[in-house]
Amino acid sequence: MAWNEPPGGNKGKDPWGNRGNGEGPPDLDEIVRKMQRGFGGLFGNRPAGVGGNNSPMTWVIIVLVLLAWLSYDMFYAIDEQERGVVLRFGEYVTILQPGPNIRMPRPVEKVYRINVGQVRTLTHKATMLTQDENIVDVEVAVQWQISDPAAYIFNVNQPAATLRQVTESAVRRVIGKNRLDFVLTEGRAQIAQDQKIVMQEILNEYASGILVVTVEMQPAKPPEQVKAAFDDAIKSREDEQRIVNEAEAYSNDIIPKARGAAARLREESNAYKSKVIAKAEGEASRFVQLLAEYERAPAITRERLYLDSLEAVLSNTNKIMIDTEGSNSLMYLPIDQLLKNRSNSTLNDIVPREFNPDNPGAQSLQNMRDRASDRLRGNR
Amino acid sequence: MYPKIVITILIAALLGSMSVFRVEQWEQAIVFRFKEVHRTKNEPGLHFMVPFIDTAQKFSTQLLNVDQDPQRFLTVEKKDVIVDYYAKWKISNVEIFYTATKGGDFTYANTLIGQRINTALRDEFGKRTVQEVVASERGETFDIVQTATSQLPGELGVTVKDVQTKRIDLPEEVSHSVYERMRAERLRVAKDFRARGEEAAERIEAKADRDREVILAEAYRDAETIRGEGDAQSTEIYAAAFGKNEEFYSMYRSLNAYKNVFSKGNDILLLKPDSEFFRYFNKSKGK
Repeated sequence: MAWNEPPGGNKGKDPWGNRGNGEGPPDLDEIVRKMQRGFGGLFGNRPAGVGGNNSPMTWVIIVLVLLAWLSYDMFYAIDEQERGVVLRFGEYVTILQPGPNIRMPRPVEKVYRINVGQVRTLTHKATMLTQDENIVDVEVAVQWQISDPAAYIFNVNQPAATLRQVTESAVRRVIGKNRLDFVLTEGRAQIAQDQKIVMQEILNEYASGILVVTVEMQPAKPPEQVKAAFDDAIKSREDEQRIVNEAEAYSNDIIPKARGAAARLREESNAYKSKVIAKAEGEASRFVQLLAEYERAPAITRERLYLDSLEAVLSNTNKIMIDTEGSNSLMYLPIDQLLKNRSNSTLNDIVPREFNPDNPGAQSLQNMRDRASDRLRGNR
Repeated sequence: MYPKIVITILIAALLGSMSVFRVEQWEQAIVFRFKEVHRTKNEPGLHFMVPFIDTAQKFSTQLLNVDQDPQRFLTVEKKDVIVDYYAKWKISNVEIFYTATKGGDFTYANTLIGQRINTALRDEFGKRTVQEVVASERGETFDIVQTATSQLPGELGVTVKDVQTKRIDLPEEVSHSVYERMRAERLRVAKDFRARGEEAAERIEAKADRDREVILAEAYRDAETIRGEGDAQSTEIYAAAFGKNEEFYSMYRSLNAYKNVFSKGNDILLLKPDSEFFRYFNKSKGK
């Protein structure tokens, strides 16, 4: 403070000056006064009386300030995450651990605080060649720490920039030793691990004092220029599965249907079998019963059946009776005309329905047979 | 009296400061006496020299960096590759270094070292394929330049500690054809997958079709067998019944057949009245 006092400053207002007038050991006062005089001579224009008044206190203050500054400069509280690298006249002495430390003041010893706890991160993104001369986009995040603070500041010029170079080199090298498919798919963890190993090897070789904590690799991507083709290739895998599934669906559709159809065929054949057997049994039974009656009175039954049948036949047809045996005259029969008339449903006009003797048995047999044959045709 | 003391102290301090120099942990120094190298072995710490006569120049002992612009090299397949590398070097002999590099000019030193490395790399890459260059082992690049840089400690007073490739890229026009190739490859893969899918689908569908045919055919076989059984049994039944009186069966069956044949009503019969049916047609007593 006193050094900054303007020459001829207001001494009455100076509290230290007033206080210092009577205080302090006399011998110290004397020495200070002498020195004050000496300084007064040095500054030339300063009157001795001015300095004489506050000089002892000024020196006390100077010493106190010096002590304060020294204690400030000699005391180092090292943070838990830090280490202090101590250089004495530039030469490495020791490393300060966390906690209070006392070192020699500035011109003699200098302390560099290095944060060794902090995990720092560095990201690197680049497009590079793979072993099979494909191009791939890779992004890595490197987390690192200073493991040896002395080595970190002594051995390598620009350690952080060097770390970046090492990262670029290691990433490129590891990608360059692997094939594109591996890089893009299952190789990610393996590649990151390899990159970490390569980086640490190089950094150790440089004695850089850097520890690579982890290397995280983002999923590698094919370059933008070929992304569509890659996406399509991925899609094709899905397509493969889809096509197969569709075929399975087709298979699942037709085979049960075929089994159903097969069951139907079998059932129908069983139905046919049952039907023909039943029919045979029925017809046989009818015949046998008729036969029994016939055998009792063969002649008359024969006659009756014959007449019944012919009657049924002739009553249902156009008939032309020709009773001119041996005649040589040519007979003209308008068959066309006859058929046409018949198709005009004038059947009854041309051939009036004859008396039809009651023959329900024959009729119902006919009906039943018709129905049976219809069913047969329909079912087959 | 006092001014003299003060001046003396100041001068002493000045001379003192001029007669010492400090060398940091990462430095080394040359002390020149009248511009001539006086001594070079200067460990870190405080050192003394004669003021006005001696001067000190400090040099780094750290690992230094050569980082050049990317270089274009030609491989054995006459393909251009763009290589970006860095090299790490150290001053191994500070006296030679000072002499050889225009008084310790680091930029100049970097240029000189870079040129040596470039030449070595150019020669070696010319003997290799792109693939070999890209997939080179760690330390291989360094080995390449080892012989070329082995003279450097004697010539420039520096030692090259490491050379690493940061990037090996293809020039833009080549990259384009690489992209084309990658696209074609992906297309091949995609086609392969889809064709495999088609193949599997074809197999599955064909198998399904086959199974269906077999199922239906077997069912048809069974069905015909069953029908045959039915036919056989019914025939047996018919034969058993009708065989009791074959003559009567012929008549019975024939009469039924006549009725069926002429049932449609579209027929015309030309009849002579001499059949059994017309026995009484002309004569009331019959034949």
